[in-house]
Amino acid sequence: MPVYSLYMGCSVPANYPNYEAAMFKVAEALGMNLNYLEDVACCGSPNLRSIDTFGWLLVNARTIAIAEKSGHDIVTPCNGCFGSLKDVLHHLTHHKDDLKKINVELKKMGLEFKGSINVRHIIEAMYTDIGIEEIKKRVTKPLDGVGIAIHYGCHLLRPLDVTEFRPEILQEMVDATGATVIDYPLWKQCCGATVLPVNEQLAIRLARDKLKSMKDAGAVFITVVCPACGNQLDLQQLGLKDSYGEVYDLPVLLYPQILALAMGMNEEEIGLSMNRVPADPILDHLSG
Amino acid sequence: MTETEEKTGPPVTLIDPIDMTKLDPKFRNDISSMPNGEELSACFACSTCTAACPIANQWDYMPHQLIRMILLGMRDEVLSSKEIWECLTCFQCQERCPQKVRVTDIFFDCKNLAAEEGHVPENVLALGKTLVDKGQLYEVINDWEREDLDLEPEVPGLSIEGIQSILKSTRTGKLVEDGE
Ligand code: SF4
Ligand code: SF4
Repeated sequence: MPVYSLYMGCSVPANYPNYEAAMFKVAEALGMNLNYLEDVACCGSPNLRSIDTFGWLLVNARTIAIAEKSGHDIVTPCNGCFGSLKDVLHHLTHHKDDLKKINVELKKMGLEFKGSINVRHIIEAMYTDIGIEEIKKRVTKPLDGVGIAIHYGCHLLRPLDVTEFRPEILQEMVDATGATVIDYPLWKQCCGATVLPVNEQLAIRLARDKLKSMKDAGAVFITVVCPACGNQLDLQQLGLKDSYGEVYDLPVLLYPQILALAMGMNEEEIGLSMNRVPADPILDHLSG
Repeated sequence: MTETEEKTGPPVTLIDPIDMTKLDPKFRNDISSMPNGEELSACFACSTCTAACPIANQWDYMPHQLIRMILLGMRDEVLSSKEIWECLTCFQCQERCPQKVRVTDIFFDCKNLAAEEGHVPENVLALGKTLVDKGQLYEVINDWEREDLDLEPEVPGLSIEGIQSILKSTRTGKLVEDGE
């Protein structure tokens, strides 16, 4: 059984316990052993990197150094945490001067960054370590081909030399549930969540453009693998009725929720009622 | 059209002329000597980065212009621009740059230089303050939601002091203190 150090960050536990629960249920069914990392800190988000790159490097190097003691790869369900941790891992592996400075500070905490483990998004760990064939074997109630638009999230895909995450991974994972992946023109575009603190109108416009592109292409549901993207695409739909006079009715599901349903788990176990745009219509699309 | 039309003021140009006396020639070195700046001078002004940017159309300075402004030494204009803070950090520009200029990463470095001079948008500074005060960006409020799903009521494994003690001694702590 593969063993992992699980880094939750602060957003999923606070805002999306349904994502956390569904992830655990699915991981257990797939035979993945997830252990919460102890004594680790919030990643700080890209905002911390913007104002204080050194602090951001140190906070995340500390988390990686703690995980290194157990020797297992870090997995996380949040694109923001993934982006920060993975970027810091990449940076310190390639910039020896910064590594020296960071290790001077870590030494005071009894820690050392060696770069001996990897940082991975939980979805990629499922895909690579368990494999599509094994996942398909556990799908007992496949979806009936319903159209799902994938929003990957910027920090999952880019920069590719840092994230090492190919879009095909999530496409194949959605295919495995029996759903149809809907191609849409703005698939690479940002959801707008990062700009909320400095320009809310811009953030709303970006979410709207994205939702419109998905809807126009025929999507019935959206899937995401990040609490910030999920929040933005789900919540903004409620406001778009007033600001743009547009109704999208596109339920946003965290990917493990979809997989859990296709594996025959029930809606309560995965907190389906917490999704803001009512997500229960997906139950009508389960067959088997 | 008559030939006697009188000309007043400076000649009409497509863009405002740059005041060369205000340029800071050291600025490009400041950026290119940072870990993400190695490829900066390879920029050949193709504006592919701008074509890839989802919000450049509503900016006064577009990504390729910001890169050019850095190369020219327009330090004040870049570091006081709203654009570096509105950047979505979506990395689309960086991904497409044919010269491997790390455009998004360079904008992160610009924000750090701006922060060092004390220029940080209020709401971004507020996030820094949240990290210093609370040790996390989001707190669990509805712990019953977690318990309903058989999860631990608190954020598992989160150390609030871990980030607080670090950020108090780095720039974040200073910015937050100065802002109070
Ligand atoms: S895409 Fe690269 S080379 Fe082209 S203008 Fe932008 S930074 Fe310069
Ligand atoms: S990272 Fe910033 S500058 Fe680059 S494309 Fe995205 S929003 Fe535009």
